[in-house]
Amino acid sequence: MMYEFRVSEMAEEFGVHRNTIRNWIAAGTLPAKEGPGRKYLMKFHDYQVLCEKFGREPVIHPSNHVELASIQSMEASAEQMPPMVLEGHHSELAVDPNWADACLTCGTCASACPIAGVDGLDPRKIVRMAVLGMDKELIESQWPWKCTMCGKCEVSCPANIQIVALMRKIRGNRERDKVPGPIHKGVVMCLERGNNLGIPKDDFVYLCEELGEELAADSCPGFVTPVDVHGARVLVTVNSKEPFAEPDDMKYWWKIFYAAGESWTIPSENWEGVNWGLFSGDDAAMKVVVGRIVDNMRRLNCKVLLLPE
Amino acid sequence: MFKEFKVYSVFDLLIEYIKEGKIQLDNTIHTHPAAYHDPCNYGRKSLKAFGQAFFEEGREVARACCPDLRELNPNRNEAYCCGAGGGAWAMPFSDERVFYGRTKARQISESGAELIVAPCHNCRDQIMKSLNKEYDLGIEVKYLWELVSDSLIMPNKQ
Repeated sequence: MMYEFRVSEMAEEFGVHRNTIRNWIAAGTLPAKEGPGRKYLMKFHDYQVLCEKFGREPVIHPSNHVELASIQSMEASAEQMPPMVLEGHHSELAVDPNWADACLTCGTCASACPIAGVDGLDPRKIVRMAVLGMDKELIESQWPWKCTMCGKCEVSCPANIQIVALMRKIRGNRERDKVPGPIHKGVVMCLERGNNLGIPKDDFVYLCEELGEELAADSCPGFVTPVDVHGARVLVTVNSKEPFAEPDDMKYWWKIFYAAGESWTIPSENWEGVNWGLFSGDDAAMKVVVGRIVDNMRRLNCKVLLLPE
Repeated sequence: MFKEFKVYSVFDLLIEYIKEGKIQLDNTIHTHPAAYHDPCNYGRKSLKAFGQAFFEEGREVARACCPDLRELNPNRNEAYCCGAGGGAWAMPFSDERVFYGRTKARQISESGAELIVAPCHNCRDQIMKSLNKEYDLGIEVKYLWELVSDSLIMPNKQ
C-alpha cells in the first residue's frame, strides 16, 4: 500500500524543516513521488523504515499491513537466490520459436497443469527457462519427469507453444544413467532381450501355452494360443507387465479373439508393445523397437497389427 | 494408413467385431453406474500427433456393455490425466503422482460411477491400484477389453 503525505505534515512529524523533506525527496533519500493535490506518495513499507530510523511510531496503523519487525525477521531468515548471469546464448532445447520464444507469459499453462506448484514445478517457468537458455538447469531438474506430458498446458496455450515437445526434448537430453526409475533400464533391456522386463523366449512361449490350456478348460473349448502362426490376419503385441506380473489379464483379449473367430498370433520374440523410448525421449531406441515389430509383421505375413495401448 | 499393413488401436478391432456382428455382448451384467476415462494418449495427444482422436469409440464399446454410462467432467479433449502418464507410473515420484491424480479422483466420485472403464494399461493401474486406495473411491476398474471379455455371449462351439 501507498502512504500519502504533505511535506508540512511530514516535517512536523519528524521535527525537521519543510525544505529538508523536499531535499530528501529530491536526493532520493526519501523514496517518494509527487501525487495529486500537492501531496506525495511513498510505499508504506518505506514509511515504516523511516519511522524506525527516527525511533518513532508510525502515525497510522493500517489494519491490512504487517508489522515491520515481523517482516524483518522473515527477511533475515529467507535464503537469497544468488544473482544469475544470463550469457545471452540461446537454448539448444527449444529448437523452434514455437517451442518457447513465442510464449506470451500469460500463465494459462500453469493454471491448466494439475501438478503446477508442486516442488516449484510450473510449465511457464520451464518455457521461460528455455527462452533464457537455462538448458543445464532444465536438464538437471526433476520437473520434466514429474510432468506426465498430458498436454493440458499445451491445449490451453493461446500462443500454441509446443510445451510437451519441449518437455520430451529436455528428458531426452538427460544423461541416460540419470533417467529416474526403470524407464531407461527398460529401454536397454528391450534392445538387448526384446522386451522391457527381459522375459526369456522359452518362458514366454511356455506361459502362453499354459494360459491357453487354462482358457480352453475354463470357457473356450479347443483354444490353443497361436504363437508364431504364419499368415494370421492379426499380429498382437503384448505389454510385458502382463506376462511378468498379471498373466491372467492376457486372456481377456484371447477370449474375444476366440469368440470373434479371429485369425491371430503372438510373435515368440520382440512382442513388446510398450515403447518406453517415447517416455525417456530416446528416438533412436524407439525406432529400433518399432522396426522389430515391422519385421515380425513381414516374417509372419500378417495384415493387421494390434497395439495393446 | 500404411500400404503394407493396417495398424489397429484397441478400439478399431473391438468396433470392427461389434459392427460386423462377430461378437455379441450382454449388457445386463454391468448394470451399475459406469464411466469412461479418456486417456491423454488416445485423445488429446493422438489428435495432436495424428490428427485423429479416439473419443467416441471407447464410449461406444463401453455403452454396448454398460447401459448406465456416465461422463467424467471435463472430458474428451479437456480430460484430466490420471496422473501416471508419461512413464510416471514407473517413476519414483509417487507422492507427486498421487497428488496429480486428485482431480481424476474427484471427477470419479462426483460422477457416482462404481465402475471405471480405462482403455490404457497405465491409466487403469493408476486408477485401480493407486487412486482407488488413496482417495477411498471404492470403485471397480476394468480395461475396455476386459469389460468386453466379461460381457461376451460365447458362441456355441465344440
